[in-house]
Amino acid sequence: MTAHQWFIEHRADLATRTLDPGDESKFRDHLSRCEECRVAVAGLERELAWLPMGAEPVVPPPGFRHQALDRALGTHRSAWRIPLGLAAAAVMAAGGGLWWRGQARETRLASELVRSRQAFAALSDTVAVLRRAARVLHASVAMNDHQGSLVIFADNITHRWNVVFQGLPPAPAGEKYQFWFICADGMVRSAELRPSDDGTLMLTVDMPGQAGAVLGAVLSMETTTSVGNAPKGVQLAHLLL
Amino acid sequence: MTVIGEMAGRRPRGHDLSLERESSLKARLVARDESALAELIDLTSPWLLGVAQAMLSDRQESEEVVLETFRIGWQKAGTLAASEDDRLLPWLIRIARNRAIDRLRARRRQRLKLERFRVTHDAGPAWPADLNEAALPGWHVHATVHSALRDLPPDQLATVRLAYFQGLSHSEIASHLDIPLGTVKTRLRLAFDKLRVALQPLKEWLA
Repeated sequence: MTAHQWFIEHRADLATRTLDPGDESKFRDHLSRCEECRVAVAGLERELAWLPMGAEPVVPPPGFRHQALDRALGTHRSAWRIPLGLAAAAVMAAGGGLWWRGQARETRLASELVRSRQAFAALSDTVAVLRRAARVLHASVAMNDHQGSLVIFADNITHRWNVVFQGLPPAPAGEKYQFWFICADGMVRSAELRPSDDGTLMLTVDMPGQAGAVLGAVLSMETTTSVGNAPKGVQLAHLLL
Repeated sequence: MTVIGEMAGRRPRGHDLSLERESSLKARLVARDESALAELIDLTSPWLLGVAQAMLSDRQESEEVVLETFRIGWQKAGTLAASEDDRLLPWLIRIARNRAIDRLRARRRQRLKLERFRVTHDAGPAWPADLNEAALPGWHVHATVHSALRDLPPDQLATVRLAYFQGLSHSEIASHLDIPLGTVKTRLRLAFDKLRVALQPLKEWLA
């Protein structure tokens, strides 16, 4: 076998990076001088380009998209993230300290770590909407003797809104707070809002993919049995982008 | 509605990755459109994670590889613009696979990986329960590649799996399968020749 014959026979191995590291290094050195091999290897890379799709796909974990966006865009960690990071680190450190205390405990802690990590990622994912918000809308909302507020953080990159609802009492019996999108082609029913005992609620909603451009939002009080895509009850807040 | 803490399992918005959509994505990435990056992440993460996970057998490390892949992809998106031949998904997968190989070689944990491989291989591939294949762009490419792999003789398939999907070098495969190094090379050469032919129909894919 001539020296060049060896390279010819191993072109596919280089294209698929299955050569031993030493041979790969030797081939790359050759490639810098051999146009014929360079063209051939590039062609093989194209022909086998889809081969990795033979691997089974894996569901990304919660918050992965935002982790990826943060990494790619080089987003700096802001102050609010520090306590979250410390909290997660503390959970992980606690897990690490207890690691050696027995197999059962090890398994339990490992699960807790996974859950903490997922919760942290989900929280980061949600809070990222606040940080990325292209628009922030606010409206005062009066309900009986209560004065509350509705704040919307609109994230145009991920097409999600974070809705923060404060200072409102629970809905009267038989009624509910209903959130609506105002779209170019009409109203779109979104989430029912259920404030906690202290009157606060924070949730993330996807912007509707149909019904045209989103123009704003409405908060109304509807009967619990209400259906359809139009508010029928009292409109408590009306916001336009 | 998606309540805080329940963002897991979000499905990609699009149900396909057509040539037109890929071309538009490429153009928007080159123009530094961040929403295109978000779309790309949705479309490709399951496949990139699959490739990295198969090679590294470590979820956390796989995620790290894919995060790095998107960072590199975003940085180098401009180099994609000129070439019609450079397809977005294969290009990203190549970056992810190369990063995974680099990590494998750096950490020198092949023995541990082989043990893990034996366990997972014997048990068969774990199927992600909440993966909706109909909503996953590229699923039919996956099926075509699987079919091409299944058509290989068992000894060639085992060698390709170890070399390509597990990231072992020729000499490591020879040692693992207890066969001569020359046999490994022959099996791979024959297998890749067959796969090149079998994957031809995908050359003009997307859809």
